[in-house]
Formats: sequence, structure tokens, C-alpha cells
Amino acid sequence: MSEESWQIRVVHSTGYHYASPATQSYNEARLTPRSDRRQSVVATRIETTPATRAYRYTDYWGTVVTSFDLHAPHTEFTVLATSVVETNEATEPIRDASWRDLRSDAVIDEHTEYLETTKYTPRDRELASVARELRKGRDPTGTALAISQWVHDQLTYRPGSTGVHSTATDAWRAREGVCQDYVHVTLVMLRAIGIPARYVSGYLHTRPSAALGETVQGESHAWVDVWTGGWWAHDPTNAIGVGPRHVWVATGRDYADVAPLKGIFTGGAKSHLDVSVELTRLA
Amino acid sequence: MGTMNNSSAPRLPPAGRRARSARARTNGRPGAQFDGYLWPGRPFPTAYDEMFDGDGVVRSPYRALYESIAGMDSADLTARAAALDRAMVDQGITFSLSGQERPLGLDLVPRVIPAAEWSKLERGVAQRVRALEAFLADIYGDAQILADGVLPRRLLTSCKHFHREAFGVNPPNGVRIHVAGVDLVRDEEGSFRVLEDNLRNPSGVSYVMENRRTMARVFPDLFAKHRVRPVGDYSTHLLRSLRAAAAPNVADPTVVVLTPGIHNSAYFEHSLLARQMGVELVEGRDLFCRDNIVYVRTTEGERAVDVIYRRIDDEFLDPVHFRPDSVLGVAGVLNAARAGNVVIANAVGNGIGDDKLIYTYVPEMVRYYLGEKPLLPNVDTYRCWLPDELDHVLRHLDELVIKPVEGSGGYGIVFGPTASQRELAALRRRIRTERRDWIAQPVVQLSTVPSKVEGKVAPRHVDLRPFAVNDGKDIFVLPGGLTRVALPEGSLMVNSSQGGGSKDTWVLAARSSSAERELASPALAETSTVDGLAVEQGPELSTEQQQQQQQQQSSQ
Repeated sequence: MSEESWQIRVVHSTGYHYASPATQSYNEARLTPRSDRRQSVVATRIETTPATRAYRYTDYWGTVVTSFDLHAPHTEFTVLATSVVETNEATEPIRDASWRDLRSDAVIDEHTEYLETTKYTPRDRELASVARELRKGRDPTGTALAISQWVHDQLTYRPGSTGVHSTATDAWRAREGVCQDYVHVTLVMLRAIGIPARYVSGYLHTRPSAALGETVQGESHAWVDVWTGGWWAHDPTNAIGVGPRHVWVATGRDYADVAPLKGIFTGGAKSHLDVSVELTRLA
Repeated sequence: MGTMNNSSAPRLPPAGRRARSARARTNGRPGAQFDGYLWPGRPFPTAYDEMFDGDGVVRSPYRALYESIAGMDSADLTARAAALDRAMVDQGITFSLSGQERPLGLDLVPRVIPAAEWSKLERGVAQRVRALEAFLADIYGDAQILADGVLPRRLLTSCKHFHREAFGVNPPNGVRIHVAGVDLVRDEEGSFRVLEDNLRNPSGVSYVMENRRTMARVFPDLFAKHRVRPVGDYSTHLLRSLRAAAAPNVADPTVVVLTPGIHNSAYFEHSLLARQMGVELVEGRDLFCRDNIVYVRTTEGERAVDVIYRRIDDEFLDPVHFRPDSVLGVAGVLNAARAGNVVIANAVGNGIGDDKLIYTYVPEMVRYYLGEKPLLPNVDTYRCWLPDELDHVLRHLDELVIKPVEGSGGYGIVFGPTASQRELAALRRRIRTERRDWIAQPVVQLSTVPSKVEGKVAPRHVDLRPFAVNDGKDIFVLPGGLTRVALPEGSLMVNSSQGGGSKDTWVLAARSSSAERELASPALAETSTVDGLAVEQGPELSTEQQQQQQQQQSSQ
């Protein structure tokens, strides 16, 4: 089957269940992929049950945000995001910046937000010193690839081992985590040696050999964008380049900038959440 | 009045230049209140005194005032001061100092600003507001000023009040600074300089109006001798600006004043402004947002709100985007503003203009956006952020005033000349590690104005906060403003949170002008046209709510 270009349908469903009725809720969804040179969006929509009147805007990071509020008492609330996206073949890492370029004031100023620490990506002495080791004898692009590989080798993928609030340091101490943690650890290392890097949220179709029309259960995924004279992507969780099986949705400094769903509700004691992502290769 | 030539100008009597003797008899002799006023041994003797020039000659705008005060005996002075205090307490104007409510002292000697000087200030303040409006629109839009390298991007992205959430919120008439409070000081040469800009929730205008009302009651005779421009119509201008801010399709916009609540130290001001404008005073729990439209709950049902004059900090305004635990704000209000259904005044994210590091670039902004020469200079400022300037600061720490880039009310400020070696050493370490967070300025010997201190009149340092209101067409600068005075001898800290007082500020009308003057008509009109709808009360406050109400940066 062709590795060049895929058409993928993503159905991402999030259900909130409240033990007692919630009377009001305000939510923002970042679940809408956009077209760029890596992918083109054929169709995308967001529906909620109960139905709401959605409002859509583009945020500071360029992400399409859908906001909606619900004022009828409810114990269930479902957000369903469906998109069909055509992806392109994997692109090569960009090798246009030297270490000297990365140290220039112009680059630092332009990419300052992708070089600083954040809540999820704090300074970590140990990770920084490993990053400096990996830098020896490599150009920035080679170093970024080496860091991604190193993070992949060091961490063990274990769902449930970390939470949505875990930082890179937490994951590094535990030596395990999920894609979000792999990305945060990678970002800490890249930024520690002056390589601008950002968080990318999206989806990964996990079966390269999938038949057309076959639906696989997937998950939200995350990887990194690295700037070395231009932006390019790499997936540290799988230590692979980003190719036709990846669909990106949002970029930001860390998870907090791209969280797929954020909201507040009143009433509704104790909620639990179920999330399902179905990916189907259409072409 | 005003026809005296210089040779007959009043002059400080010789006793005014000698140290005041404890036993001096003051009764009867004209000008005795001023004994010791210009004593060369006083703190900061080179500060610019607004009443007397260096030779003790009374400056012309102050002549009538000087003669009136010099003609009063000490008992009269004391009696009038007591009357002022009583009037302030009666009106319930208090501010909180370390948790205690007390009246913000109104000093009985007014500050006088002549017409020509005021017109310069007025133009300077308006120019600054125009430049800052352009800056905010740019930053929360395509940020051309960063692309052009006038100001480094990282300076902005590292600012705590840069709210990315406000990106893309475009107010219908383009105004983000509905009300600005630009703090000015007067240096040793007597030139006004900008000390800081307050574009978030500048407070204090209620003192301006109430001080005037009180002075007019206690000193009607002084007003008869001066053409003082009135300040009582501030709320008319504010309401005009707020109504003009609403989307053009709204024929008769509903404006509300959103207060953190009665536990906030500026609550008096919030209620005064709402009453004078004849609009609802509401708390967050009185409002709600549905499908990006904000409603106020009233006894007659819900009613859509078009403009919110909010006196709540950004961080508490919308729990969807900012602090999720805020109980003072309105969930969804920011997206309602983004959708163009409501206007938040002042706009969210204005705090970048208040950052004291960004402040240093305002003269550049004036040139960049307006192509004009800045009319009001800044106070010289060293940026610890820049390596060269940091070196200078560290070498001259004991001569400079070191200030945190954010924060108001005088908190965190260190006066190098009076700080101990230990304090300076600790400060030096902090500056080195938190370079973005500190600036330093030379000690500006703020100008002095005579102030009543224990039965006498003595020089005390003052600043000035004029209030500017932008309705999208014109920028109105209230003729007057809040003069804050540092009451302890030799203190340069005028912030009310540091125990200062205030003065009535008299902007004189030009002799040729037909401008209105205070007390020209018999009554000081007080509007009180509260709209018939009573706000339905929300649930009782929790302790958490009370704490959040108090946490608002009310002293901005």
C-alpha cells in the first residue's frame, strides 16, 4: 500500500458523565485540524449532545477553537469531533541552521516562546546535561534526532503512569509516561541547548498496513516540531519521522496551550470522562 | 487678582528661611504658618517648590492662595482642617491601609496648576494614550512593532500581563483604554515627567470629585478668588465613552459597572461612578453569559448587557480563560467580547502598557505610531534587563531607586540612599537572577507643595494622576486629577498604600476662556438618576469570595 499519501477519517468522542446534574458548563475544544503543506483538511465538524450553539475563533497560536456553553441541567455531555484529512508523505528534517545561527539574537527573539521553560517543561539539570552530551559532534538537526531517539529509549510507554498534570521532570523521574510526557521531556532537552521546539497535538494511525475502510481504535497523540532554519516534526514516542499516518491539530509551548478540551461547570458533583478516537484510512 | 507685577509679588517672610523654633509664637503675624518653610536644612532642599521660587517669591498662580493662607491664623487653619476631615468621614470616603479603613486625608492647601501648564500636560497625556492605544491594538493583532524590531519580542512575551487569551479581541470602536491614569511627577527643574502608566483599573477619580466637593464646602471664599475648572462632570464623560464603545447596531446600550464587591477598598468609587452615571452596579454573580451574550439578572428578568465597566483584574474576570477558581468574574465573558457582543472596559490585556520595562519604550511608540515628538518625557530609567544598564545599576545601587517592573502601591520599591548594606546586597543578588523584574531610576526629588502639618504649613512631596477618558473620537483629560502627597517629612512615597494623603488639584481657567468654573453657579449638581431596575441579589458571599474581593489591585 502506498506510503505517500493517506486520507484518514478521525472520529474523536469525549463524554462527560456527572453523578448529579451539572447546571451550567462552558467549554473550549481544540479539535479542528487545519490545512498546511503537510496535510489538507477535506471536512471537519464538531457536534455536541445535548446540542449547543458553537462559536469558533482562532487563538494566539493559530489553533481553531470551538467554544460552547450549556445551561440546561445535564448528567451527560458528549463532544464529537469528526475530520477527514489528506496527509502527505514524510518530510526530511531541515538542516538550515548552525549552532551559531541558533545563538543569534534574531533567532532567539523570534522564537523566544519556544525556548523558555513552562509549567510542563521546567528546567531540569540532568536532562540539560544529557542534551549537552548529545550535542557533541552533531549539528542541531542531528542533535534533535539524537535527543528524540534517546527519550524514546529511556522512557517506557505506560498509559496511566502519569496524569494530565505531570511535568517533564515527573515523567523523567518515573522513566515512564505517555506521548505527552515523551514530548515534554524532549522539549526540555531541546530548549536547554537553544533549539526552538514546540508541542504538537494530533492523531496517529497506528497500523501502517491498515486496509482501506478498516477502523482502528486510536488515541490523541503528540509529537514535537523542531526549528533548525525551518520547522520540521519528529515523533519521540515512536522515534519515527512524521508522515502520512500523523494528523496534526494544534501547536503551542506545551500541553496547556493545546489541551483538546477545557472547560468549567457548576453543579454536577464528580464527573468522569470517557474518550474514544477512531481512525479509518479512507484512501 | 492677578494684576500684581513682580515687584509687588508676595514673598516669604525671613522667618520662613530659618529653622522653625519650637517656641516661636505664631499667632497674629501674617505668614507665620510658613515659618521654616524654606529652611535650607530641610530634606531635599533642591526639590522644586510649586508655591515659592528659590528666592522665596510666591509664584504667580499661587499668589491669591498664599495671601489667603497667610492671612488665616493658626486656630482658623486648624478649625478648617478639622472640618475637612469631618466632611470626608461623613461622606464615607475611606481607603484601607493594612486592612484598616480610614479616611484618605485631604490636605487643606490645594495644588494649583495654571492654564498654560495644564494645556501642555493635557496634550502630553492625550498623546501618550493615543500611542498606547495603537500599541495595544498592534500587539493583540499583527504585532508590527515587533516585526520592525522597535521593541524586542521577548520583552513582551515575558511580560506577566501579556494575555494571549486577548489576542483577536477587537473592540467595535477600537478603544481599549477607556480610562487611563498617567502618573506624573515634577523634577527639580519643575518639568513634568511620566512616572508610570495605569491602563488597567486606575482608581482614585472618586477622590478627585469628593475632594472638590469637600473643599468647596469648607473654603467657598477661596473658590471666589480663583477660576477653578470643575471636575464634577467626569462621570458624564465616562458614560459617553462607555456608550460609544458599544457596537454601532446597539441603539441604546446597556452599561454596567462590575465591582469585586463591598469588601474591595475601591468599592466606594465603583458605587459612586455607577450612581453618577445612572447605571447598574453589579457583581459577577449578577451577570451570566449564554451563547456569548452577557445578561444581567434583574427583578424584571434578564437583560442583555452591552458594555461592562469592570473594576476586576483580568485574572479574575473569566474563569474559562483565567483563574478557574475565580468567583468574582463572569464565565464566558471574554469570548462574548471576542464575538463582539459585549465590550469589556478597560480591555483585557492592557497590563502590558503598565509594565515598567515596556514603559521605557513609550517615547519610541509615540514616534513609531504617531510620527510625533513625545510631549511628556519619561523619568530616566535603567533597565536591568540590558547588560550595559545592569552594570550601571549595580555600580550605583546606593544612589538609585530600584523598582519591580510590575506592581503598584509602592510595594517592593527600594530607595538606594536609605537602604542598609544588607538590603542592598540582597537586592543585588535578586536583580542578577531576576533581571526582567527590575528597573532603576535616579531619585527624583518630587516637587513640593505647602501642606498642613501640625498647625503649620510645610513643604511635602506630591505627584499627580490625571485621568484620561477615550471615547474613540476625543481623549478627554479631566482638568485636575489626583494629587497625592507624602505626609511624613522627607518622604517621597506618595502612594496611598504607604500612608499618603491627597490634595484638591486646581486647574485654573485661562483668563480669556469661557470655560466653566467651580462654584460659578450656586449648586454643585449631583446627579443621582438610578435606573428603576433593582439588581436581583445573588447568593451570599463565601469567605473565599471576600478574600478575592480584597485581593484586587485596588491601589493601582
